[in-house]
Amino acid sequence: MSLSVKIGNVKLKNPIILASGTCGFGRELAEYMDLSKLGALSSKGLTLLPRDGNQGVRVAETPSGMLNCVGLQNPGVDAFLATELDYMVDSGAGVVVNVAGHSDEDYIEMVKKLDPYKEKIDALELNFSCPNVKEGCMVIGSSPKAIESLVSRLRKLTSLPLWVKLTPNVTSISDTAKGAEAGGADAIVAINTMLGMAIDIRTRRPILHNNTGGLSGPCVKPVALRMVHEIYDAVKIPVIGCGGISSYEDVLEFMIAGASAVELGTISLVHPERPVKIVTDLEEYVKQNNIEKLASLTGTLQMWR
Amino acid sequence: MRSEYSIQLVNMRKLGDSCSILTFSCPEIAAEGKPGQFVNLSCSRFLKRPFGIMSTDKDNGTFSIGVRKVGKGTADILSSKEGDMFTVLGPLGNGFSFDGVKKLLLIGGGTGIFPIYHAAEYARESGIPVTVVNGYRCKNDAFLYEEFDNVSDHLFVSTDAGDLGIKGNVMACLEDLDDSLLSDATCFVVGPGIMMQKVSEWAEQKGITCYVSLEQRMACGIGACLVCVCKIKTEKEGKEFTHKRCCKDGPVFLSKEVIW
Repeated sequence: MSLSVKIGNVKLKNPIILASGTCGFGRELAEYMDLSKLGALSSKGLTLLPRDGNQGVRVAETPSGMLNCVGLQNPGVDAFLATELDYMVDSGAGVVVNVAGHSDEDYIEMVKKLDPYKEKIDALELNFSCPNVKEGCMVIGSSPKAIESLVSRLRKLTSLPLWVKLTPNVTSISDTAKGAEAGGADAIVAINTMLGMAIDIRTRRPILHNNTGGLSGPCVKPVALRMVHEIYDAVKIPVIGCGGISSYEDVLEFMIAGASAVELGTISLVHPERPVKIVTDLEEYVKQNNIEKLASLTGTLQMWR
Repeated sequence: MRSEYSIQLVNMRKLGDSCSILTFSCPEIAAEGKPGQFVNLSCSRFLKRPFGIMSTDKDNGTFSIGVRKVGKGTADILSSKEGDMFTVLGPLGNGFSFDGVKKLLLIGGGTGIFPIYHAAEYARESGIPVTVVNGYRCKNDAFLYEEFDNVSDHLFVSTDAGDLGIKGNVMACLEDLDDSLLSDATCFVVGPGIMMQKVSEWAEQKGITCYVSLEQRMACGIGACLVCVCKIKTEKEGKEFTHKRCCKDGPVFLSKEVIW
């Protein structure tokens, strides 16, 4: 019985990855779980220079989820390399480094800085999907052509696997996924948060001081699942599913829909031990159901005619 | 390794129409919880809700929090019954430091009086002289008056309505305080933002070291998600402030470092 999965050339001991922006660099969640039990963790989204993120209220609760507008607060790629990368490597989980830029040049600079550390990094996750910054990210990620052009430029700079994290805030996510594939991406991660809003009826102002924010949590799961399936049908490269996953059953749904691995995030903010519990539950599931390789479930969905 | 605990509500003491003290059975938090720390408590909504610890009882393995109705989450919690089960993370945050504190001036307002009570109780047990100044809306709102009287050397109260203590807010009390209570004192403040800001300015003028317990909308409570940041002054060149996590780096900060 094995939970191990392969995403292109990246082998992980199981399909559970902590999603970027919900686990920092692992230090806080390490107080609640043994990170080495996880497939991988994806770093907080890094930018070329340190960022303070957005000011004021950054979170609003929603039914079965939350909106956030953190705005990529992070220490910058240089500080990450100096103080956080080795911590992630030593944690025993696979290391995914999430990078976010204001412009194509930002991504290029960051990939150049990260490439020399390829022995320590399993994959680079290109964040083309943060909804909380005004430039780059989601602007690039909304255009299949812009994605293809930037991924192909980055492809030439590194042999590190390039995972493209897509935004659901587009008309056709299979088109943006195809753009990433055409540019030479090794995998698609879907989805980042959905752009949303919450209003205080007393003040008639948005609760979030950024006015809008990214919706995450169990409420987005059905949308994420549908998108993962659409992408799985549209491209040949592996898909990593992300969006509201809170239980091992959710993981199985995403894998059946076509995901080779999954990322989970918002649930760790409510139940920090849950990711490891899900790994244990998956071990039990494959035993109970006599499934030799969990990875064999990927893409086994049978649609109704 | 830390854990999320499954805990039972063992006592509910109603203080007013929309405020109660809830006591939970949880030996771990009872043993570890320090004044100024908080717990992140489940409710029927998606996220947990943060509450400052009001007291701990190591012998009985319980801890208490004060809850006032603010929104739907707190309303749900207040409609619970003894015996109901919750999940909780805690104790969380840095808490107050009593190292080198010779004399304490504790100032509470709103639900801030609950963590202030914990600090008073701890100081009393540690033999540190305590003066408490609490601000309330009115006499009916003046919760825990006797309890505070029992754990403080001096208790001063202000009410907006003027039906108990000095009429006005805590500033009216502070301006009347005898200098003997202020010399060598350290000040801890928990309450509404504007109150903490005014007290901080007063403390700075008087040359009193002052700590405030900041409040922000939170999600994880353990420092992972970065949604609850507050602006703290920084020494770093060219920068006015840095964003610190209220839940993990705080909630207690030195008042003169806070950008209000």
